[in-house]
Amino acid sequence: MKLALKILLRELRNGDVLTLALALVLSVATVTGISLFIDRLQSSFELQSATLLAADRVVRSPKPLPEEWQLEAKEAGLSVANRAWFSTMVFTDDGLQLSQVSAVTDAYPLRGEYLTDSQLFGVGQTTVKGPSVGEVWVSSRLASLLNVKIDDVIQIGEADLLVTRYLVRDPGSSASAFAIAPRAVIHWQDLDRTEVIQPGSRVRYALLMAGDTEFLDQMEQWLKPQLQDNQEWRSPRAGGRGIGATITRAESFLLLAGTLAVVMAGVAMALASNRYVKRHLAQVAVMKTLGATPNKIASILLWQLVCIFIMGSIFGLILGWSVQAFIALSLETLLSTALPEPSLTKIWLGIVTGLTSLIAFCLPLMVRLLNVSPLSVLQPMSRIEGRTAFLYAFGFVGMFSLMVIYTQGLLLPSLMVLSIALVSVLVGSLGFVLFKLGRKFTAGATSGWQIGLAALHRRLQSNLFQLLIFTLIIMLVLILTGVRSNLISDWQAQLPKGAANHYLFNIQQQDVEPLQAMMSDLKIKESDWYPMVLGRVTKINQEQVSRLFEEGKDRPELLSRELNLTWTDNLGVDNEIVEGEFNLTNEGFSIEFEAAKEAQIKLGDEITLFIGGREYSQKVTSIRRVDWSSMRPNFYLILPKTILSDFPANFITSVHVTDQSKQDFYQNMADYPTVSLLNVGDLIAQIQLIIAQVSQAIQLLLGFIVASGALVLVASIRASLDERLEEGALLRTLGASKSLIRQAMLIEFGFLGIFAGLIAVLAAEACLFGLQVFLFELSPSFHPVLWLLGPILGFVIVTGIGLFAGRSVLKVAPMRMLQAL
Amino acid sequence: MSDSQTIAIETKNLVHKVNTSAGDLSILKGIDMEIKEGESVAIVGASGSGKSTLLGLIAGLDVCSDGEAYIYDQALSLLDEEQRAKLRGQYVGFVFQSFHLLPSLTALENVMLPAELRGDLDAKAKAEGFLDQVGLSHRIDHYPRQLSGGEQQRVAIARAFASAPKILFADEPTGNLDAETGQVISDLIFDLNTSLGTTLVMVTHDATLAKRCQRQLIMSAGRLSESE
Repeated sequence: MKLALKILLRELRNGDVLTLALALVLSVATVTGISLFIDRLQSSFELQSATLLAADRVVRSPKPLPEEWQLEAKEAGLSVANRAWFSTMVFTDDGLQLSQVSAVTDAYPLRGEYLTDSQLFGVGQTTVKGPSVGEVWVSSRLASLLNVKIDDVIQIGEADLLVTRYLVRDPGSSASAFAIAPRAVIHWQDLDRTEVIQPGSRVRYALLMAGDTEFLDQMEQWLKPQLQDNQEWRSPRAGGRGIGATITRAESFLLLAGTLAVVMAGVAMALASNRYVKRHLAQVAVMKTLGATPNKIASILLWQLVCIFIMGSIFGLILGWSVQAFIALSLETLLSTALPEPSLTKIWLGIVTGLTSLIAFCLPLMVRLLNVSPLSVLQPMSRIEGRTAFLYAFGFVGMFSLMVIYTQGLLLPSLMVLSIALVSVLVGSLGFVLFKLGRKFTAGATSGWQIGLAALHRRLQSNLFQLLIFTLIIMLVLILTGVRSNLISDWQAQLPKGAANHYLFNIQQQDVEPLQAMMSDLKIKESDWYPMVLGRVTKINQEQVSRLFEEGKDRPELLSRELNLTWTDNLGVDNEIVEGEFNLTNEGFSIEFEAAKEAQIKLGDEITLFIGGREYSQKVTSIRRVDWSSMRPNFYLILPKTILSDFPANFITSVHVTDQSKQDFYQNMADYPTVSLLNVGDLIAQIQLIIAQVSQAIQLLLGFIVASGALVLVASIRASLDERLEEGALLRTLGASKSLIRQAMLIEFGFLGIFAGLIAVLAAEACLFGLQVFLFELSPSFHPVLWLLGPILGFVIVTGIGLFAGRSVLKVAPMRMLQAL
Repeated sequence: MSDSQTIAIETKNLVHKVNTSAGDLSILKGIDMEIKEGESVAIVGASGSGKSTLLGLIAGLDVCSDGEAYIYDQALSLLDEEQRAKLRGQYVGFVFQSFHLLPSLTALENVMLPAELRGDLDAKAKAEGFLDQVGLSHRIDHYPRQLSGGEQQRVAIARAFASAPKILFADEPTGNLDAETGQVISDLIFDLNTSLGTTLVMVTHDATLAKRCQRQLIMSAGRLSESE
C-alpha cells in the first residue's frame, strides 16, 4: 500500500490522474450538493407546510379520537396536541354572534405560532402558547361584532371566559381560510365546561403530532389501517398541494439534470482512465520486467483506486457541502429566512455515486493494465487491446443504476437514455455529413481552414463523440438557463411586486364606496370589485346532477357545493376566452375551462342554477381559462347581470397592503366589522421563497454541469493530445508557423463548438417545450435568446478550453516531440 | 568472478511459433545453448531473425511453444506469470533500446523502483549510489523528458544494476544513441558488468559492441550458431 501511495503521489503530477481525481470530486460534489440542497429545500417547505398544519402530521375526525392513539404517539416519542373546532353562538350581555370556536391543549401549536395583538385590528405579534384555562382569544372581527374588548367576559355555552388577546392568525386554520367566520380560541379544559358539544353536534377533532420523520412514519404505518372512512391522515405535502407538487417536480428535474452532470464526470473519468491506461501499458510492462508480479500490480492499482476514491469522496463531499451551504447562506441574506440544516444521511448518495462511477468507468480499463505482457517492452505489438463493447456496457449499466437510485424508478432513466440516444443519432448523422462536406470542400493543407477541417474529418469518431458531449453539455446549460428564467419570469409575472396580499369579502353594497375612499386615502391598490351571490348547479341539459354524478369524492367540485356567482362588465386580465364569446348584452353563462372539463360541460350545454329559491337555466356561451394564481378574485361561473341584479349581493375584492400602510389599514377596517379580511401575504412570501430556492438550486446545478463539461472537454482533448502533438511537431518541422497551427486548432474547435451549440439549441428548445407543457404546466414559449447564446457559448467554451488544453502542441519544441516518437 | 561451472541460462530445443493469418510461423526453430554465470554473450543477427524473441524467452518475459528455457536450473515454462515475475525480480535486470523510463518519475525514482517493488527499505541510498556510478548524481531530480538520450540510457543502466541482478539483458542498448554516446554507454555496461560479476546477454546489430563480449551467438532464420 505504501508503494501504491508513493507511486500515486508521483503520478498526481501527471494530468490524467488529476483529471480522474477531479472528475470523481466533481461527481461526488454534484450529487452531494444537489441532494443536500434539495433536502434542505424539502425540509424548509415541509416546515412551512407544517406551520399551516400546526404539526408534522394530523389525524382529523368528526368524533373524538381514541385515547389509545394519543398514548401510542407519545410512546413512539412524538409530541402530541389536541384541537377541536365547531360553530357555536358566542354571547355577551348585549348580543350574540355565530362563531368558529376552537379548543386547544397546552402543546398546541406543535409547529408555527399564533399571531395575536392587544390592539383591535393590530398587525399581531407571534405568540407560542395558546390561551390559558378560563381565557378566550377572539378575532378583532368577533370583538367588533360583539362590541367587547380585552378584560371583558364573554360566554361560550355555559362557560364564562375572559378575553385576553385579539387573535390575528391561527396557525392550524389558514388552510380553510375562505370558510372564514369570526373566530375564538379557548383552552381544551374549558371545552367540557361550555357543554356546547352534545350528541349530534358538528365538531371536528384533530390529533396533532410532531417529531422525527422515522417515528412519524412508524406511527403512520400503525395508525393508517385503523382509520375509518370519515377520518383523515394529513401530512404537510398533502396539505400544500400546489406548491408541494411543484417542489417534487423540481426535485426530479434537478436530480435528472444532476445525473447528466454525473454522466459527464463519468465520461471525463473514462477518458482520463483510458489515456492513463494507454500511457501506462508500457510502464506496467517495464514494471513487470523489473519483477513486479501481476498480484503486486493488481494490489498497487487497487490501492491507488481506493486512495483516489477516498480522497475524491472526501474532497467531493466537502465541496458539495460547501457549495450548497454557500448558496443557502446567500439565500438567507437575500430572504432573511434560514433553511433547516441538511440531514447527514443524504451524503451516502454522493459516496455511492463516486464508487459506482469509479467501478463503472475506471475499473474495467484498469484491468487492461493487468493483462499487459512484459514482452511488449521488446515487441510493442504484443500489447493487448480490450473489448470496447464490454467497457461501454459496463459504464452504461453503472450510470443507469445511478439514475435508478436517484429517481427511484425506471421510467425517467429510460426516457433519459432514450433521449440521449436520439440526440446521439441526430448529432452523429449531422456531424458525419458536415465533417465529410468540410473535408471535401477544403482539400489541401495550406491554410488553417484546410488543416482544421481535415483534422475534424480525420479524427471523425473521436470528434463525433466530442461533438455529442459538447452538445449535451450546451443543451443542458441552455435548458437550465431557459427553465430558470422561465420559472422566475412566469412566476414573477403571476406574482408581480404589487400582487394582492389581502382578500376582502362579505362587503355590503353600502360599504363599497366608503371602503374605496379609504383605500384611495391610504394609497392601497385594489383589484376589480365583484358582486357575489350564492347558488348551486342542479341540472345539466335538464338532467339532474345527482343522476349524472354520484355523490362523494368523484363528483366534480363545480357540482358538489354552493358556488359564488358573479356578473361583470370587464373580464379580468387573468381570464382568457378559449371558446365562444363573452358577451355582456346577451344571455348565457361563462364557465371556467378546468371546471367545465371536469364536469363534462361543453359550449352550448344548458346549465340550471338554483339561486335564492328559484331556478335559472341558460346555455354556456363562453369558456374561460383562468389564472388562479393571480391573487385576484375569480369565479367558476359568470352570469348575466339580468339574473343576479335581482338578488342582494355582497362584494369581494383583493388589495395590496404595504407594510407601511398595514397598521392604518387594519385600524380602519375596524369600522367595517362585517367585512371579512383574509391575509394571503404569508402564502405569497412562501411562494416567493420557493421560487428563489429553486432558482438557486438550478444555478448550483449549472455550475456543476459547466464544471464537469469543462472537465470532459479537457479530458477528451487530452485523449487526442499525443496525436495532436505528433501532428503539430510534423507540421512545424515542415515549416508551418505557430499561428497556422493555432488557426487550425481554432477552426477545429470553433467549428465543433458552434455546431454543438446549434444542435444543442434545437434539442434544448424541444426539451423546454416538453418541460414547460408537461412538467411545470406553463404555457410554452420560444426562446430567441438561446439561438444566439447556444452557438456563441459553444464557440467560446470549446475553443477556449480546447486551445488551453492543447497549448502544449504549440509550446513543445518539434525536435523534442519527434525524438520522443 | 563466480564459479565458472554454474549455468545461468540454458535452453533445450527451444521452439517458438506465432499464429498469423497465413498459419503458424516458426520464429525459433530448436535453440540449444548454455550461458555460464559471469559470461558476457552477444546475440547478433539480421532484423527479424528472432533475436529479441529469444531474449524475451530466456528472460522469462514470454513462454516458449516447445522445448524449455532455464534460469539457474528453473524451467520457465513450469512457472506461472506470478512466479516468473518473482524470478525476474530476483535474478534479472534489463536495459532497453528505447530506455523505457517511467515518464512521471524522476531519475532517482526510476532507479528506486525495482528495490521498492522488492520492499527494500534502503532503496533511496542504493539508487543514489548507482546514479553516482553512472555519473548522474547532479540530475537525480530530473524527469526523463529533461534528460538527453544518453542520460536516459544511463538512468536505465543504473536502474538495471540497482536491482543487483545476476543476469543483465540488454536489447540494443546503444541503438538509439549516436556513436560517441553509444561508446560511453557500452563502456558503462561492461564496467559495471565486470565489477559486479553480472552475466550479460546483449542483443545488438553493432559488431564492435558484440566483439566486446566474450562470446558471440549468431541468429539466422530462427537458428543459433556460435561465432568462431
